[in-house]
Amino acid sequence: MLGQIAAVTLMNLRSLPQRLGASSVVVIGMASVVAVVVAVLSVSTGFLETVSRSGSPERAIVLSSGANFTGDSNLTRENVATILGAPGIRRGADGKPLASADYYNAVPLTKKGDGLTGWVTVQGAGPEIFALTPEIRLVTGRPFKPGLHELIVGSLLQSQYPGLEIGDKVPLPSGDWTVVGVFESNGDSHESALLGDAETLMSAYRSNMFNDVTVRLDSAAAFDRFKAALTTNPTLQVDVMRENRYAAKQAKPLDDFLTMVACWVGGIMAIGAVFGALNTMYAAVGARSREIATLRAIGFGAGSVVVSVLAEALLLALLGAGAGAGLAWLFFNGEVTVSDGTVYALAVTPALLALGVGCGLAMGLIGGLFPAIRAARLPVAAALRAT
Amino acid sequence: MRYFPLVWAGVWRKPARTVFTLLSIVVAFVLFGILQGVDASVAQTLATSRLDRLFVDPRFGDTLPIADLRQIETVPGVTLVAGRSGLFGYWRNPKNRVFVIMSDERFFAARPELNITGDQLATLRRTPDGIVVGDAIAGRYGWKPGDRIPVTTTETNRDGGAIWTFDVVAIIRDVGNPGQTGYVIGNYDYFDRGRTENQGTVTRFLVRIRDPAQAARISSRIDQLFANSDAPTRTQPEKVSAQSDLNSTFNIGAFTRSVVGAAFFSLLFVTANTMAQSVRERTPELAVLKSIGYSDDGLLALVLSESVLICLAGAMLGLGLARAIMPLAEPQFGPGFAQMPPLVVVDGLGAAVIVALASGLLPAWRARRLVIVDALAGK
Repeated sequence: MLGQIAAVTLMNLRSLPQRLGASSVVVIGMASVVAVVVAVLSVSTGFLETVSRSGSPERAIVLSSGANFTGDSNLTRENVATILGAPGIRRGADGKPLASADYYNAVPLTKKGDGLTGWVTVQGAGPEIFALTPEIRLVTGRPFKPGLHELIVGSLLQSQYPGLEIGDKVPLPSGDWTVVGVFESNGDSHESALLGDAETLMSAYRSNMFNDVTVRLDSAAAFDRFKAALTTNPTLQVDVMRENRYAAKQAKPLDDFLTMVACWVGGIMAIGAVFGALNTMYAAVGARSREIATLRAIGFGAGSVVVSVLAEALLLALLGAGAGAGLAWLFFNGEVTVSDGTVYALAVTPALLALGVGCGLAMGLIGGLFPAIRAARLPVAAALRAT
Repeated sequence: MRYFPLVWAGVWRKPARTVFTLLSIVVAFVLFGILQGVDASVAQTLATSRLDRLFVDPRFGDTLPIADLRQIETVPGVTLVAGRSGLFGYWRNPKNRVFVIMSDERFFAARPELNITGDQLATLRRTPDGIVVGDAIAGRYGWKPGDRIPVTTTETNRDGGAIWTFDVVAIIRDVGNPGQTGYVIGNYDYFDRGRTENQGTVTRFLVRIRDPAQAARISSRIDQLFANSDAPTRTQPEKVSAQSDLNSTFNIGAFTRSVVGAAFFSLLFVTANTMAQSVRERTPELAVLKSIGYSDDGLLALVLSESVLICLAGAMLGLGLARAIMPLAEPQFGPGFAQMPPLVVVDGLGAAVIVALASGLLPAWRARRLVIVDALAGK
């Protein structure tokens, strides 16, 4: 049985070059679907990677209750003091809690590529920020000094906006602030921001409310203790989240949107590609009907005929899907873009490539199955007589 | 028309193949219809956004003092300034989002594309809690003139509640405003008197200028006026603002063009393959036609007509289907995205003909060049 299958399949595949034109329909159809799906998902994958990289399970973020993101949240100085006194926060060598009460705002800047306006996050952080987030490393220049109008700039942000070199001025409400340093942060979303001192920034914006408090936990397990202490404190109305969960939540809307786009557009294109494949495979079966009938007449089973047709469809689909995924990787992987104020690189990951190839094989299976069944059911005598 | 039965017979020679080809074309045009519809809505936003209209927005924070209006009016080249604030909320159900623009008659002067009549404007001015509603949102929520509309907001009013009730005084024809919830416009004075926070402020000034070429100069002039004030401004032409907004998440135009390009590229192969197969199979028949007197060009036209017929039929079915599917996207994108301007239909049918000709030309050429004797002999 296996021998039969192998023999028929090989014979079939050897005759493929004769049907090159028709077969290219399957390959190109699959390639375009897979390329589009992988390209769209590379956007959300890249965004998700960048945003979720900025979250650590060993850090927790505290927002005023009901706030969905830092911009929605308001914490008073008393709130901040209460939060910093909670148990479960790791302390530095000097005994101070490793935590930062942050203030966020946004400034409109003009992008390099298209000259359009983008809103850039300005983060005001506490003095412990570098101990709290060790991934933030200064690559050139020096850190900002509290009390002075100074900022450091994320290197990803710097690559997308002009006028953010060391010594350049950024206009903020209280006048120009000077860029004094450039930092890297493993390419996470911090790198899309300007970073300065919280108190100085708040006085510039005439605000006396912080937006969030980020703390480093004693250990990942200390989260529950920390959270319980804050949520049961009657003087506070706050939500406490692990930082990685908060980051994932921020990425969700864009991720959901792009996944929906990929499903709809990819789904519609896939239907078209399957019709193309059906057409080709029916034609292939039609062209080979005498050959198939002959095989059946000399004793080959229906099963081996089905497998041979399916193998052809799957092989063509695999070629197409591979080409599509490869093209998407070639053109989109690593491409740097900006969405909703976050600078990130599109990512065509191995998982995404596998997904693309999987989609291609599924389409090939559907496109090959019905023609394969038709081939197996060919009335042998009639097919032999046909000219 | 005389030859139509012949074309028809050719098309249906192998029904299964024709149906699959037709379906491939339908699918490609469903995609084309939806994506071009979205693209056209975006293009329309940009087209209706004018170069002679500037937006003055707060550079930092959310509000600007309404008193800035007088100062902006003094800038040479400015013909009109309208201040507007906004009230976000929902009607009955959080899904029914409503954004009420709070302004005065100057807003309509700044946006002449909002076709409001003098009578309607007079009624709005007479009715402090009146609103004028765009027909898209009025149709969706079933609002009629005379209706009282309670809008639940986060803005506390004098009564201590956050529900603002408005009186629909007129329905106006909405201009394309995709992605937005549709125009609802009320009286600024009434709103400002009624609210308890941010009184005397607006969220944006709309500025009309005499000469679009002066836009950059006037923009920076306005920003200079307030550079050292408590509320510095950021002024830009409406078009630049609209482009920035549209591209803030991702570049819709580039995306739709690439997808439609990919879909049509593969479609070209599907139809070309179908036509090539069909002509190859019918070689003897075509030879017979030639021998009974059909001209070479006649056969060329015959084969091309077949591919045009299939492609046009597929395109029409596909565009129709896209039109039917598009309203499903409304909850995701908001009203205005689900539209198909006639131009998209024209473009689609044009694209169908191009695909048909491009894919049919080679097989048709082969049919034209058939040598009768060889073809009949099966060579």
